[in-house]
Amino acid sequence: MEMINWHTCFFLLFALISCGFAIAIVASSNVVRMAFYLIITLGSVAGLFFLAGADFIGAVQLMVYVGGTLVLLVFGVMLTARSPFVSMRTGGSQWILATIVGGSLLVILLQAAFSVENWSGERIVQTTSAQQQISPTSTKIGLSLIGLRVDQLEQQDETLRAGMSGYLLVFEIISVHLLVVLVGAAYLARAKRRPLKEPSNSKL
Amino acid sequence: MAIEKIGRNPVEQDVYTDEMLLNMGPQHPSTHGVLRLLLRTDGEIVLEATPHIGYLHRCAEKIGEKVTARQFIPYTDRLDYLASMNMNLGWALAVEKLLGLEVSKKTQHLRVIMCELNRIASHLVAACTYGLDLGSFTPFVWAFREREKIVNLFESVCGARLTYSYLTVGGVTADLPNGWLGECEGFLDQFNRSVDELHALLTSNAIFIRRTAGIGVLSPEMAIAYGCTGPVLRGSGVDWDLRRDGDPWYTQMYDGYEFDIIAETNGRYPNYQDYPPIPSVAVLGDCWHRFYVRMLEVMQSIRIIRQAMDRYSSADGEVGGPVKIKEKLAKGQVYLETEAPKGQMGFMVVGNGTAIPWRTRIRSSSFCNLSVTSELCRGCLIGDMPAVVGSLDIVLGEIDR
Amino acid sequence: MAEYLSQYIPYWIAYALIGLIQAGLLLALMLVTVAVFTWVERKVSARIQDRLGPTRRGGRFGWLQPPADGIKLLLKEDLVPKNADAFFFRIAPYICFCTTLCVFMAIPFADGWVAERLNTGIFFVLAIAGLGVFGVVMAGYSSGSKWSLFGAMREATQVISYEVPMAMALVVPVMVAGTMDLVTIGNMQAGWFTNWFIFHDPFTFIVFWVYFTCAVASTNRAPFDLPEAESELVAGFMTEYSGFRWAIFFMAEYGSMLVVSCLAVILFFGAWNGPIPVTQFLGLTNDLHPIAGFAANLLGLANCLIKACICMTVIVWVRWSLPRLRIDQVMATCWKYCVPLAAAMLLGAMLWSYAFPAGLLFRNQAFGYASEKSDVMSDIKNGKVARAEKGGRQTWK
Repeated sequence: MEMINWHTCFFLLFALISCGFAIAIVASSNVVRMAFYLIITLGSVAGLFFLAGADFIGAVQLMVYVGGTLVLLVFGVMLTARSPFVSMRTGGSQWILATIVGGSLLVILLQAAFSVENWSGERIVQTTSAQQQISPTSTKIGLSLIGLRVDQLEQQDETLRAGMSGYLLVFEIISVHLLVVLVGAAYLARAKRRPLKEPSNSKL
Repeated sequence: MAIEKIGRNPVEQDVYTDEMLLNMGPQHPSTHGVLRLLLRTDGEIVLEATPHIGYLHRCAEKIGEKVTARQFIPYTDRLDYLASMNMNLGWALAVEKLLGLEVSKKTQHLRVIMCELNRIASHLVAACTYGLDLGSFTPFVWAFREREKIVNLFESVCGARLTYSYLTVGGVTADLPNGWLGECEGFLDQFNRSVDELHALLTSNAIFIRRTAGIGVLSPEMAIAYGCTGPVLRGSGVDWDLRRDGDPWYTQMYDGYEFDIIAETNGRYPNYQDYPPIPSVAVLGDCWHRFYVRMLEVMQSIRIIRQAMDRYSSADGEVGGPVKIKEKLAKGQVYLETEAPKGQMGFMVVGNGTAIPWRTRIRSSSFCNLSVTSELCRGCLIGDMPAVVGSLDIVLGEIDR
Repeated sequence: MAEYLSQYIPYWIAYALIGLIQAGLLLALMLVTVAVFTWVERKVSARIQDRLGPTRRGGRFGWLQPPADGIKLLLKEDLVPKNADAFFFRIAPYICFCTTLCVFMAIPFADGWVAERLNTGIFFVLAIAGLGVFGVVMAGYSSGSKWSLFGAMREATQVISYEVPMAMALVVPVMVAGTMDLVTIGNMQAGWFTNWFIFHDPFTFIVFWVYFTCAVASTNRAPFDLPEAESELVAGFMTEYSGFRWAIFFMAEYGSMLVVSCLAVILFFGAWNGPIPVTQFLGLTNDLHPIAGFAANLLGLANCLIKACICMTVIVWVRWSLPRLRIDQVMATCWKYCVPLAAAMLLGAMLWSYAFPAGLLFRNQAFGYASEKSDVMSDIKNGKVARAEKGGRQTWK
């Protein structure tokens, strides 16, 4: 029997799920279902990351996108939907416009993707060993946070070696500070809440 | 979103959240019986809470016009079914006052034993279903273990576990069996330890205090205005107990007994050093104080029972038996209030010379206690609803009659 | 293992087979633990409440009660309320269950005995564990009743809020170990119980209790079980679920209890290394014979599971002793107490590691870097790569 390449199998599965449910988001008319399909789409993208060996990025995708952004989205959708199951219908003209824009973007992406030389060759090395290597995917990120330029490790030229440093941690700290400032500004500039209506004396 | 002009610039107001009408009950694990609480809430805050009652109405007062006074005793059992002895006592005393029938001292001591034992049982149920409402399962089972012993005592006296019909017009249906006093004493001896365990699990528990202290604060003026009585009234600091301050026909039963009325005077409870201290976040009149009053009243009831047992043993004479079933009632009207575990129960009987009363009227303690719910619940959170309603210790049997 | 099997059968079959076996083992672990712990909960709660618990099914101790319960739940009527969104209603329990099951992929039970040895083990666990909230929100929303929605929103808020201090608390042992790899963390705690991370420094000790509180809160157990508050909201988001669907939720809850217990054991209590290094005394190492190594790992597995079961029993004990916190008190506990405490402990542990890099007492393992040396590390040690200079301008090639 011909060998089944599980990697390809799972890749196809995850890819089909991602694309299929992405199309389902667009085709659905129920807002809550759309949010749910988005969860599945982004989750299978995380699966693709895991397949590519980038487990850190996959976990980040799950934690940030699915576990953070989408929770917010789902909360928003469920709390603000007035009637139980809100429907959204898009008109015919919007469909045409969307198809044109989306289609042209897809064509550009496909063309760019297939113009990469290495992809058309044999990518997956068929090994007889199924044992996974322990790939320290997060070590490099940790090291770059403390200033190591991990992208320039093969720098042979000694004269350029001095002065090579990275400021990734500093960058992160400044970003968090900026976030705090934004949150504070939004809080200070909020509209004041209208006082509570007096309880009515109606007979309940 | 509304846009208002404030000053010179338009300001967008926040999104106005919808009010929600929520129904708690009538089938609900935490309302003590079939009570329907209609809540109008804004998010988590309760704007208005309206109790709807009547689900347990069984026309008790109308039935009182159809049966004789002695036949009405089982119906009084079913009013506050957790404190049947006290209900029986209230009715029996009212009818005896109408008849002018004074029971012997021995009977009175026996009645005191029964009523105070039932007070302990009722307060155990109240305290520990309160814990159950707040999520504390274990004290409930422990308290019911103790209540089981009390109920066994009652069963050996009158054969019933819940609705005793024991104290009747003219006395009691039967005297105590042999050895009953010894068993009762044995129960009281080991009961202190259980109360200490309940104190550790509930009264001093940090989470319990956080759930009850400062919640549902009832001022003494409001309590008196709404007619609240019993631990609800005393929990707000009003020193009023019918066993000391009531009708002489009732207080003569408690003549000569030494016990404290549990109400806070000058920031302290009587014998405060024997009990867990009052937490600093507790405010007089809140749920925690009402709970504390009940726990302390249990200890006082133990004191009373011990004295009553001594007096019963040393009293001479006989325990009175019930009057004739078709005993004719005198013409006239008597209204007598007694101190039941949940508050003041009032029984009115109007006699017209026949055996059957012309009118019976029952003043329910829980009815007036419940009426303060809508005041207390305004502005509290939904999670506080069980805390407030549980602290009032209501029984729908006597509210709906 | 697949390598071994591929000598006999084509490797792709071996691969699939091993994958299925491992998945099956994890599923079996989770289901058996759930079943056993329903019995444990009933017995422990009964004894705490001065009664006996199940005594009829299966002899005097009622150990056949879980299968009896399971059969009963399977036979119940399959009900979908009229107002419910049927698709979400049906799928919500399975989301909860599957996310809990997936977490077990990264959790080791003995040296090397892990389904997927990830370098970012803890991170993966936290990421997947945070997905369970979707099942709850879906369940509450799709039940079509106000009470369920209320419960679902409360639960989601609680779970998301408690992820923050839980992650902060988990960073402390990661920082002490220097790696996120759970197998490495377990190996670092080999030896006597003084090697356990919980005894490494007082800050880690305190942060364990913070983690324990957050773990109990994130699995919605008392005193944080407001979403399931029976006396207030009937059953919260699970109100409309009955029969087998409810059983799936139940299993997911116990499964997540097992997950947090396993994490606590691995990160704080030495994983598969016992209080006493028995395997060392017995001389069972891989050098002796592969079977000896296997036996050592088996003992380690038993050790790990026993400790996790003790942790779960403590969680059960706490449930039946304490009343329930109100939702705003739950939130206050998270943001006003757990988060600052976890942050302070993180700082303290960092300073402690800086002050006593080799540990204070009874340390016999080197701390600081992961035991696997990567090329980068050896490059740094050999001085081939420069570090960032203070105030130096970086030059780009």
